[in-house]
Amino acid sequence: MTTPMLEIRDLHVRIEDEGTEILKGVNLTVPRGEVHAIMGRNGSGKSTLSYAISGREGYEITEGDVLLDGKSILDMEVDERAAAGLFLAFQYPIEIPGVATMTFLKAAMNAQRKARGEDELGTPEFMKEVRNAAAGLSIDNEMLKRALNVGFSGGEKKRAEILQMALLKPKMCILDETDSGLDIDALKVVSDGVNALRGPDRSMLVITHYQRLLNHIVPDRVHVFADGRVVESGDKDLALELESKGYAAFDGKAA
Amino acid sequence: MTIAMPIRLGPAEEVLIAQLESTGAKEAADALRAKGLPNRKVEAYHYTDLKTMLRDVPGTTASADAVSAPKFQIAGAYRVLIANGVASHDGTPPNGIIVSEEEGNALNPRDDVIVGMNRGLTSSHLKVRFEGSVDPVVHLDYRLAGEAHHVATSVLIEVADGATATVVQSFSGSDAAHLGNHGTRIVLGKDAHLLHVIIDQSGMATRHFHTMEYAIDEKVQLKTLGINLGAGLSRTSIFGSFNGGGAHADFSGMNLIDARMHCDVKLDLTHAVPDTTSTELYKAVVRGDGTSAFQGRIVVAQDAQKTDAKMMSQGLMLSDEAQIFTKPELEIYADDVQCGHGATTGDLDENSLFYLMSRGIPKDEAAGILTCAFVQELLDRVEDAELNEALTGLVDEWLTSEGRA
Repeated sequence: MTTPMLEIRDLHVRIEDEGTEILKGVNLTVPRGEVHAIMGRNGSGKSTLSYAISGREGYEITEGDVLLDGKSILDMEVDERAAAGLFLAFQYPIEIPGVATMTFLKAAMNAQRKARGEDELGTPEFMKEVRNAAAGLSIDNEMLKRALNVGFSGGEKKRAEILQMALLKPKMCILDETDSGLDIDALKVVSDGVNALRGPDRSMLVITHYQRLLNHIVPDRVHVFADGRVVESGDKDLALELESKGYAAFDGKAA
Repeated sequence: MTIAMPIRLGPAEEVLIAQLESTGAKEAADALRAKGLPNRKVEAYHYTDLKTMLRDVPGTTASADAVSAPKFQIAGAYRVLIANGVASHDGTPPNGIIVSEEEGNALNPRDDVIVGMNRGLTSSHLKVRFEGSVDPVVHLDYRLAGEAHHVATSVLIEVADGATATVVQSFSGSDAAHLGNHGTRIVLGKDAHLLHVIIDQSGMATRHFHTMEYAIDEKVQLKTLGINLGAGLSRTSIFGSFNGGGAHADFSGMNLIDARMHCDVKLDLTHAVPDTTSTELYKAVVRGDGTSAFQGRIVVAQDAQKTDAKMMSQGLMLSDEAQIFTKPELEIYADDVQCGHGATTGDLDENSLFYLMSRGIPKDEAAGILTCAFVQELLDRVEDAELNEALTGLVDEWLTSEGRA
């Protein structure tokens, strides 16, 4: 049996400032090359899961483990996890005035190369990689010249996230509510971008509360998330079932 | 009836009084004897209590050591070296630049102990006059060499009607307990354009005082950028007066402050006539237990209608021990004006830091990127490519240095 790309074992997480436990024993395995979806209501702990996996400060893991490609990542810093091949596409990408998008992309690519003991990328190679990746996502030069995410529309921000994903070539991608704030056309561009990055050595965990996104990014498995744990897993048809029956049928709570 | 209590004078004040008396500056000596150095009860020195912070004053005689290597250089600039207060310049100045030594002190008298001492200790000044459109940057390179001494300098920068100039003043020197008291008066003629950059890279043991006075005539376009990243104790006082309509000035500065440094910038601007506009943007980045202070005051005179003045100060604290003080003040006597001020102080934004780190950028590098972004907009104001490159290098060097613990 091959090592899964992501393995979450009985993960318990609480928010340090509040002390409340948000994740209450999550078990989830994403095999190599597969795309899994997590669906759940707002407030069910989906975003907490993505932050806990990426190592964000303030999310205390009280029990359990997270393994990336067979190795526990819980002792690693946020940047080390990224260099190890983890990528989080943000629900709300952060606007950073004063940092040019290109400068940021180069810093990120070279930081990861350096962490892996590879040579830094020269400017011509870097430019070529960005141009190739940008073309497929309808990202023009003018957008790349602006400060990182500053003044980007909702669609531009999400496309910029996928561009980063394409350039950083992660093994494991977590897409947090990538469909939020997108109209139908933008959703298609972003989904096509994501689908183009699917491959045998890359796994994805797509977090969403609408089934809509999963028409475009068709998952291998669907997990229903409620009250801090996975309550049901199935194939892509589970998303349709969920859409017709509603979350209440799965978590027993009124909508 | 008020009873005048005699001021208790400390050793630093006694030395300063003796130095002033020896140059015949009786008025300044008497003023200092009567009032002493300002303490924190003097509003203008609220954040920089000279009575306690200036404990010793070195002698006024410079040692004969060779001048240190230049710390800041700009490709293609015309340089005037002011070594231990003595000016010398390379060859004949380029067209449109007239350099001369003139009688008297350049600053106007005012009720300020640093100005009083500066006027008392210098009886002549260096005058740099610009006529027409002057291309090369003029770099006044001040250096305090050798053992600790007390130096006062006086410079008049005059930009003639319709002339354009870029002036850089940089201060550096040996790491000795120098006391530098520098005065600069900037007189801008009608329709004059000036970019004025001031950089303090003095040694940590040095005490650095700089007073600037701007006289701003009709239709002037002025940009200033002060960069403070040296001197254990520094105090910059900027006085500006808009005296002609249609003028616009952008005053700005950044304090890049390390542990054990105390840097105080005070800005005092008067919109004296109608139809003048200004922006003031001052930023501070503080590491270790450093302290940065900014006091900005804008006065709009009664008939100075249509004044538009926007003042902002922003502080970034990179450690728990860092201190930033900021005090904006507006005094408006006219009724048809647009004036505003704002101040923010905080540490690096956690969300931004997480975002950069989630892309593989280590924390220190991410913090560096965000700090650089914080001051970037000030550097962007410098259009001259060579000067911009030199200033960017200076800021980058500070950002990538470890800082003193």
